[in-house]
Amino acid sequence: MRFARYMGYRLVTALPVILGIIVLNFLLIHLAPGDAASVLAGESGAATPEYMDELRHKFGLDQSLGMQFLTYVSNMAHFNLGYSYRNDADVSSLIIERLWPTSLLMLTAFGTAVALGIILGLVAATGRNSWRDNIISLISLVAYATPGFWLGLMMIVIFSIGLGWLPTSGFDTVGAGHEGWAEVWDVARHLVMPAVSLALFYLALYARLMRASVLEQTGMDYVTTARAKGQTERRIMTGHVLRNALLPIVTIAGVQAGNLIGGSIVVETVFGWPGIGTLAFNALQSRDLNLLLAIFFMSACLIVIINLIVDVIYVMLDPRMEI
Amino acid sequence: MVMIVQPEPSTLAHYAVTAGNIPPIATQIYEGLATYDWDQNPQPNLATSWEIAPDGKSITFKLREGVVFHNGKPFTSADVQFSFMEILKKYHPFAPLLLAELTGVDTPDEKTAVLLLANPAPYLMKALAGRDLPIMCKSVFEGTQILQNPSANKPIGTGPFKFGQWDRGQFVRLDRNDKYWKPGLPYLDHIIARFIPDAATRSAALETGEAHFAGYSAVNYADLARMKTNPILDTTMKGYEMTPALSVLELNAKHPPLDKKEVRQAIAYAIDRKVILRDVMYGCGKPATGPLSSLFKTVGFYTDDVRNYDVPDRLKIANKLLDGAGLPRGANGMRFGMHLEVNSFGEQWLRQAEYLKQALAIVGIDLTLRSEDTATWLRRVYTDYDYDINEPFLSQGVDPVYGLNKQYLTSQIRKGVTFVNDSFYANLEFDGILNEAMREQDHDKRAVLYKKAQQILAEDCPLVWLIDVQYVSVFNRKLHDHTTGPLGTQQAFERAWLET
Repeated sequence: MRFARYMGYRLVTALPVILGIIVLNFLLIHLAPGDAASVLAGESGAATPEYMDELRHKFGLDQSLGMQFLTYVSNMAHFNLGYSYRNDADVSSLIIERLWPTSLLMLTAFGTAVALGIILGLVAATGRNSWRDNIISLISLVAYATPGFWLGLMMIVIFSIGLGWLPTSGFDTVGAGHEGWAEVWDVARHLVMPAVSLALFYLALYARLMRASVLEQTGMDYVTTARAKGQTERRIMTGHVLRNALLPIVTIAGVQAGNLIGGSIVVETVFGWPGIGTLAFNALQSRDLNLLLAIFFMSACLIVIINLIVDVIYVMLDPRMEI
Repeated sequence: MVMIVQPEPSTLAHYAVTAGNIPPIATQIYEGLATYDWDQNPQPNLATSWEIAPDGKSITFKLREGVVFHNGKPFTSADVQFSFMEILKKYHPFAPLLLAELTGVDTPDEKTAVLLLANPAPYLMKALAGRDLPIMCKSVFEGTQILQNPSANKPIGTGPFKFGQWDRGQFVRLDRNDKYWKPGLPYLDHIIARFIPDAATRSAALETGEAHFAGYSAVNYADLARMKTNPILDTTMKGYEMTPALSVLELNAKHPPLDKKEVRQAIAYAIDRKVILRDVMYGCGKPATGPLSSLFKTVGFYTDDVRNYDVPDRLKIANKLLDGAGLPRGANGMRFGMHLEVNSFGEQWLRQAEYLKQALAIVGIDLTLRSEDTATWLRRVYTDYDYDINEPFLSQGVDPVYGLNKQYLTSQIRKGVTFVNDSFYANLEFDGILNEAMREQDHDKRAVLYKKAQQILAEDCPLVWLIDVQYVSVFNRKLHDHTTGPLGTQQAFERAWLET
């Protein structure tokens, strides 16, 4: 009951935040010079002023800023994200098309990074200054310093061109008509390289963070107490240290999970992955305001939700915290 | 067959948007009244024959029997009338140039369409291909908002391939049209147009054989040398004969000292086009000699008998012109400073801009480069006119009318319209020649007029012409008969076949 009330309270207080974000985004976007009509006409080579006026009228750009804003907010209130004139398609369908590939890539990469990062950090910390600590630290340093796009291109050169094991790019084999498990396998083969090049950076980050965090916790008084109680080292590690050491990981992961929906423009570009990152980038380049605002709106909502989840995880990990 | 199209089109509304990445897909679906042979003469396509009236004010087309649209509707003169009058004339970005003289389309019977013109329009006979003036199905568009028609992204035409599916961010799939009017064609069952944003990955997809064709310089010039050594790949420069384009510098004559002819000429002399060709374009093209692409040589409109800016003592001339214009070098060796707006459509333009900064510094012009995103750049140059020098890339269309009229006529100084006369060139004598050439039916007389026009422009130097651009196609050796005419990638792959 208390939990439900807390959640309700948090969600209601999030509404003004989201509204504020909408207003801010709307104003910021309109500060950018140039508009969708001029970009569209620019790509076409030449156009008459009448044609451009007609485009502007069609896009609603000939109305005052206040009117445009009111129209936009009222559409949003009806869960209507609007129409992308540039793409001749509904904004919601454009985003939904990309949502699945984006979440697949980001969740795979992020999940792998968090899980492996925690394990590697723990392994490194428990064998401090041993050979395995040194190897893990070295690898994470290299991975942390390697740019994702370079890693991606090198993997394409080695695994696609050189060895011919993996396809260079795309989400699945176009026109192959795979179904069932064959399709799953096909997508998985396409997923490997983008997921790895995206995960490696985060993996290194979490491994280093986890190592530092575990080392800090093992020096705490409660560890000495537990040891004095006669608990085994294994029990101390899993029962006491791990829980506390996870808190900073959850914090950082919570912040970074906000990037999930935005996708990664760099990795999407290199691997031709149909993600939301490139969609947003192209929308910005072409001043496709409806589309851009909708993506911002979704990101804002997601971050609010993730913050909520992170808070709940805190409570689960640390009983001293209360809802 | 998998082809690479770069970048992904935002729409397939070929009749209302003329971005260069749409025709490789759209021309598989939409056809025009005519097509063109290697000598660029019109050949029958949806029209079987045509006759131009002696006064040039009407063109009568006999239409092909037995052609059906992908939705099953038969192709008739009503479709031609509707396409020209209700769609192209109203919404095609080039209509103000191409269809300005078109007053109506008569349809005496189902298989005859007569284009009625206020004045002769000889250039129209060069623009009848599906790339330039496509024919749409009347019943699809009738009674709807043309620009919001659902067929924008699910096009319905008469072509050898039907629209299949568009997965945005990934591919467009086209399927064989089993009822195509050319018996036995096309050979391919599917065409898949893939979109891969990263240049290095595009090259990799060709090298692994995942993609078979990449036209329109979708492969980076820098990667071409490597592609040529790959045993499974080959390259061709054919198929771009009707796609002339020049890279140029536009000089804003409202910003002194660019109002002085001598200063503009000095800039033209100061640049070594061979360096740009070698280091920026990797050899794909030729140094431009004047305002028209040398591709117009085939039809006899091009001349290089104009003021030559590529002479051995060009730097000496440039310095002398600038001295004569009353612009001595200051203490730092510079005469004056200018901004150069960097073209936002790709990194090669930044490289060109870097060279220009070096080249102009030699004659004492201090360039500051300014890079902005597309929308900001277009607005600064074509709406606010807040620029000194701009480095656009100009398509010249299939007839000098396109490239010359919109760029140099006084009437084309149109605030807010992109890629028109933004250098404020105004020369009444020149305007007269262009207007005469536009309506002149005698080909030889037109050629004489255009020669004179090119000479005047080269002398006045409102723009600096840099490179006569040559596109390149990269293809897998298993793909045959992909480039069958001068429109190349912008006409259907109806005869293409893939070795297995």
